[in-house]
Amino acid sequence: MKTWTIAILLLVMLGACRKDPAIVQDEVDGPFLLALPPGAPSPLIPEDNPLTVASVSLGKALFFDPRLSRDGTISCASCHFPDRAFSDTVALSRGVDGLTGMRNAPSLGNVVYHTAMFRDGGVDDLERQVIAPVEDPVEMDHFLQGAVDAVANDLEYQRKSQLAYGRPLDAFVITRAIASYERTLISGWSRYDRYVYGGELPALNESEVRGLALFNSELLNCTACHNGFDLSDHSYQNIGQYLTYADPGRERISLDPGDAGKFKVPSLRNVALTGPYMHDGAMATLEEVVDHFASGGQPHPNRSPLLTNFALSAEEKTDLIAFLNALTDERSLDQVP
Amino acid sequence: MEFDPRTILVPLMFLTLVGCGPDEPVEPEPPPAPLTGTLKLVIRPTWNGVPFVMNEIYNNVNDYRVKVEGIKFYLGDVRLLNGSGNTLVKDIAFFDLRYNGDTVTWTGVQPGIWSGLSAGFGVPQALNDADPIIYPPGHPLDLANGSYWTWATAYRFFQFDGRYDLDGSGTAPPTSPFSMHTGLNACYQEFNLDLGGDIVVTAGSTSTLVIDMAVDRVFYTATDTVDLATENQTHGTNLPVALELTNCAVQSFSVE
Repeated sequence: MKTWTIAILLLVMLGACRKDPAIVQDEVDGPFLLALPPGAPSPLIPEDNPLTVASVSLGKALFFDPRLSRDGTISCASCHFPDRAFSDTVALSRGVDGLTGMRNAPSLGNVVYHTAMFRDGGVDDLERQVIAPVEDPVEMDHFLQGAVDAVANDLEYQRKSQLAYGRPLDAFVITRAIASYERTLISGWSRYDRYVYGGELPALNESEVRGLALFNSELLNCTACHNGFDLSDHSYQNIGQYLTYADPGRERISLDPGDAGKFKVPSLRNVALTGPYMHDGAMATLEEVVDHFASGGQPHPNRSPLLTNFALSAEEKTDLIAFLNALTDERSLDQVP
Repeated sequence: MEFDPRTILVPLMFLTLVGCGPDEPVEPEPPPAPLTGTLKLVIRPTWNGVPFVMNEIYNNVNDYRVKVEGIKFYLGDVRLLNGSGNTLVKDIAFFDLRYNGDTVTWTGVQPGIWSGLSAGFGVPQALNDADPIIYPPGHPLDLANGSYWTWATAYRFFQFDGRYDLDGSGTAPPTSPFSMHTGLNACYQEFNLDLGGDIVVTAGSTSTLVIDMAVDRVFYTATDTVDLATENQTHGTNLPVALELTNCAVQSFSVE
């Protein structure tokens, strides 16, 4: 009788041990299958931060989570709207307490192909880029550890963190997960793509085809910088927007006065959605942008020699802008359910 | 014959219970004699040779009234030197003089008689380029120190902040801000300090090294002057001013 009592007690004690809800023992993570449009090169994904279902899913949740900001009001998506190709609608974005940022928030489409982040290329990879908006006093204004603390009790986050990274949610996980999600924001399903990469000639109308021809012409020389799958070589160029720049641009990073006023060439994908334009959002419409390039810009000492003056008829200008509008993706950049 | 699980379960329980016996007492081994020493490095700010006080108002080399409100800096690749070589003491150290000085204590220092110190003013490139996420709380490169330029993924090497008044005989508190932060790899500057005598590091004991930082000299050297009237802001750009300030700061260090 005594033996049975001990055995039952032991069984009861063993049965009392239940799983920590954040620890997943019977779930497994798997690779995230990135959908690539025709013509898209295979992106380089860091070996130490592979795309997985859990990491990308966690990254998406964090991307939209305002708890990462000091006062719980600003998320990444507050300045990178999905329906604007993950760019902002205003010239300069607003952070906590309504503070204004120093540059126009760029589109995150195809950021996986970028070799340096920000308009001045000051950050080498997406993982470290994540730190900047969280800690920037005019964006989320939070210490990264404070952001971690704000979401650390989220059991779903903890579950995915364990699944994806085998560790509790921390600054390492947050930066990796958001970077992973951003790498999935692929753009390449526009009518332009169907025309160029799909061989679907009716995808562009006659005006857009004429606009494409202008875009590719030596006269306009757009493709000197806006080339390749992302319609950008991601180089740094001074486009003569000002004679004197309030923002040093690339010079801020390189410390080379020859880089003053140079900014990373933006992709033209979804350009109809990503206005206002330029590093400071100073140009509201594509018409203004075309007019600027037609003028050749201001004679800044660092102005790119690739800029040409050109004259367009009203019809040509309409065609060129029609073509730019055809660069809009017909499906969401967001691949995460 | 029908199987009775008790024939296995009961002996198994018994064995499990009796298997937990007390460990044999183990005679603790004496700790090994230390092979290295400890170095306590004290940064002692001064102004014209007397102890410097943060937020006090001083007249600087240009006869401007200045109120220094913050001094923070990194020293990288700190080594002790003597005639036969050197030893690495610490790869990186962060100093915050908000309490009119700062002290760090480093263990694992190679014993010896040392006559000099070499360091870099700033963060060595390999550390500056690394992902700051990897550093634990309390580490000199921890993001929580607030010394990281997130826009450049690089550390601020030297943060020198305060207020000034061009009227050297004024009486009102200075209000014009100066904020001079150097960083980026171009501003990393190596320097040597003669210790003015030997410092002896012995195994198992602590030696103290006091480095004076003449804050008044952060505004000038024998050949340069940082004139706050025209040079009062640098945050990554304005490299000439950043380099000038770096040079002044490096030359402000001395050992009695």
